[in-house]
Amino acid sequence: MAKNDILLSVEGLTRRFGGLVAVSDVELSVARGEILGLIGPNGAGKTTVFNMLGGTFPPSSGRIRFDGTDVTGWPSHRMAQLGLTRTFQITSLFPTLSVLENVRAASFRRAKTGWAGAFFRTRAWREDEAALARRAEEILDFVALGHRRDMPAQALPYGEQRKLEIAVALGADPTLLLLDEPAAGMNPDEGAKLVQMIRAIRDRGVSVLLVEHHMKVVMGVCDRLVVLDHGVKIAEGQPQAVASHPEVIRVYLGREKVGA
Amino acid sequence: MDFIVLGQQIINGLVNGMGYVLIATGLTLVFGVLRIVNFAHGEFYMLGAFLTYYALTLFGVDYVAAALLATIAVAGLGIGANRFFFRPLRKEHEFTILLSSLGLSLLIANGAEELFGADPKYVMSPYADEASEIGPFVVTEQRLIVFAAAAVVMAGVYWFIRYTRMGKMMQATAQNPEGAALTGINTDFVHGYTFALACGLAALAGALVAPTAMLFPTVGSWAVLKGFIVVVMGGLGSVTGALLGGLLLGVVESLGGGYISLGFKDAIGYAIIIAVLLWRPQGLFSVSRSTR
Amino acid sequence: MIKGRLPLVVAVLGILPFVVGNAYLQHMLVLWAIYALLALSLNMIVGYLGELTFGHAAFFGIGAYTSAILSMNYGLPVWLGPFAAAIVAAFFGAVIGYVALRIVGPQFAILTLGFGSILYTITNYWVDLTRGPMGISNIPPFSLPGLDIDFTRADRMYYVALVVLLLVAYGCRALMTSRTGRAFIAVRENAPLAASTGIDVFHTKLLGFTIATALAGVGGALYGHYLRVITPDLMSLQYVAALIIMVIVGGKGTIIGPIIGAGIYVALLEALRVVGSLRLVVFAALLTLCVIFLPGGLVSLWRRYAGRQAAGGAS
Repeated sequence: MAKNDILLSVEGLTRRFGGLVAVSDVELSVARGEILGLIGPNGAGKTTVFNMLGGTFPPSSGRIRFDGTDVTGWPSHRMAQLGLTRTFQITSLFPTLSVLENVRAASFRRAKTGWAGAFFRTRAWREDEAALARRAEEILDFVALGHRRDMPAQALPYGEQRKLEIAVALGADPTLLLLDEPAAGMNPDEGAKLVQMIRAIRDRGVSVLLVEHHMKVVMGVCDRLVVLDHGVKIAEGQPQAVASHPEVIRVYLGREKVGA
Repeated sequence: MDFIVLGQQIINGLVNGMGYVLIATGLTLVFGVLRIVNFAHGEFYMLGAFLTYYALTLFGVDYVAAALLATIAVAGLGIGANRFFFRPLRKEHEFTILLSSLGLSLLIANGAEELFGADPKYVMSPYADEASEIGPFVVTEQRLIVFAAAAVVMAGVYWFIRYTRMGKMMQATAQNPEGAALTGINTDFVHGYTFALACGLAALAGALVAPTAMLFPTVGSWAVLKGFIVVVMGGLGSVTGALLGGLLLGVVESLGGGYISLGFKDAIGYAIIIAVLLWRPQGLFSVSRSTR
Repeated sequence: MIKGRLPLVVAVLGILPFVVGNAYLQHMLVLWAIYALLALSLNMIVGYLGELTFGHAAFFGIGAYTSAILSMNYGLPVWLGPFAAAIVAAFFGAVIGYVALRIVGPQFAILTLGFGSILYTITNYWVDLTRGPMGISNIPPFSLPGLDIDFTRADRMYYVALVVLLLVAYGCRALMTSRTGRAFIAVRENAPLAASTGIDVFHTKLLGFTIATALAGVGGALYGHYLRVITPDLMSLQYVAALIIMVIVGGKGTIIGPIIGAGIYVALLEALRVVGSLRLVVFAALLTLCVIFLPGGLVSLWRRYAGRQAAGGAS
């Protein structure tokens, strides 16, 4: 793999809470156009890794490089400005705004003209606004929520709220999308649709790092898997190879079935 | 420096501080159990003082009976206030609840001004003019009573919260409202009870402190500001914090008022609020919970 | 809701002083326009950023004192007063916001109460600068360079206040159609999610808070040059409550709401003059009723009605 094909690279990532080591010396990378799955049993440190990558808190030690820039310890909004956008495990939307406004509110990174442009209704502002509106509509169609565009986000059924979350994240125009358990609470049918959608996101040119419990989703969509246990990376590779890795089987044995 | 003057000022500060403690204890209980920052809390202090005044002048009962009557009546009003101004908003954003308490505060304060008149009142207590000497220090009997009664009541509040069934239900509700409801605790009842207790404490503070100063219907906003300062110092929701914070504020104000300018005495409290909220938002006396 | 009817509304507002034709009602109109401006500035914090502040009247007072003192003691042309007021108020707003906006929720409200009260206390006791509780009187009336217009007359001053109000209202509307305004709303709705889309939550709030305090300063300057007397009471809790009532009763988070709220406040203040201080009880009741039963304020009634009409028309 050529050096500039690596979008995200993480080295020696470690996080301690008091005396507890939640994540220890984890190394991983995401290539451009790749869908990487981060899995592991409960308490393996997936969420801690995710929160460090998303800028919720800084690592105790280690380095995170994104798109050629050292982003170690950056806050969430600076990561996002660079193109690294995260979603949330618990449904997180702009509740009283309409579905369309949710996506537009998220397009901060794309919008160029500010208040002054709007005040004088400059040409640049009008073009910017028109482009943003078109793009928001396009993203809503992409997640199949076009028919809900004027409904308040809080009035949507749960499954559609989860779709809207992805639309909001895409609105922020990421090059790498961090998905935090997007399949939580979904039935198998919705899970299958999610797999399709994640593939379609990749086809838009967005790389994906996926933290997920649902093994069916993970096995169905990921190019590569990284497996954590007790904060340490125990395996990495193609999904099928990882599923038959003896360490992984030992870790998962009696807890969850791999590849079920 | 004259140690007698210093000692006298500390004593005065502790007495004033005990009044703050009673006000702040109710405020902190309501925050802890109901999650309400009650801007109207000071108005119950004001009502307690005024009802004491009217019980004395209209019904001619003695001071102790008047104070007790006022306390009980205001506790009853508290139940109604909670029922109409806070219970309907239980599921709403804290912002809305704070606004509702602001509305209630304006309603009571302006209503009181209509009802009681804006001219000052004097609550006559038989103990107001009797001075007692403790060593070289002089304290009026009324101020001794403020201190002693508040100390006894605070001990009672501690005992109540720790050992009675209702106190334990209050603790459970404060820690985890959903969990408390699941174990069969009627949280609405606990909320109403807590609110009434808080209002009663504020009213008692009003009844006790009133004879030491002139009484205006606008005193409620003064009381709630003192309450906020103490609660912020002690940590929102902590009764021990309210006790220590109230005494500390009283002493700091008394010393500050003696040695700095009297005009800026009130500003000391605000400066404390700002410093504490920025430096230790969890309060001065709480064991740090944010280990992260 | 006034889309397309805006020119008509502006025209009506423009001829209002002639319609009412009486100096006292014209005076009410000036107060309305200034209060509406202040309500819009508070709305930026309460309605757009979603934080409750109890310190807003302090910035109103800072603006009034800045313009009065600069024009009386330092020879600043009066028409520059509102700009100077905006700058000084924004400076205080930025410093206080920088410190206070790290804290959210009820604690933020208490913190702003503390800052507001300190500014009030300083104004009250810094007698050399502010003349203390006596206040400042004989403030020069508003004037424009090269124009000989007597702005002590309410019907003249009304147009100054109206132009500023309309500019600010338009500015708020423009804000809401820009990425800056959408960032405000995103922060109000869900701060962590806003951050995840690249919005710097703290600096967005600081920007909104500073703009709001600057606008409050402008309102204060106009108020001072119009009434020509100011006292520290401008910074008191009474004015804080009045502004909050206007925003909440009218409808927070909208542009027309605070403007209508200010109108209702001024109108009721006048209509209830006969009942004396009982008016304050009525205002308090109005606020409480709106908080409990009509969280969207009076404009939400109109919306509900319009929505029903639209739904009825469609079926």
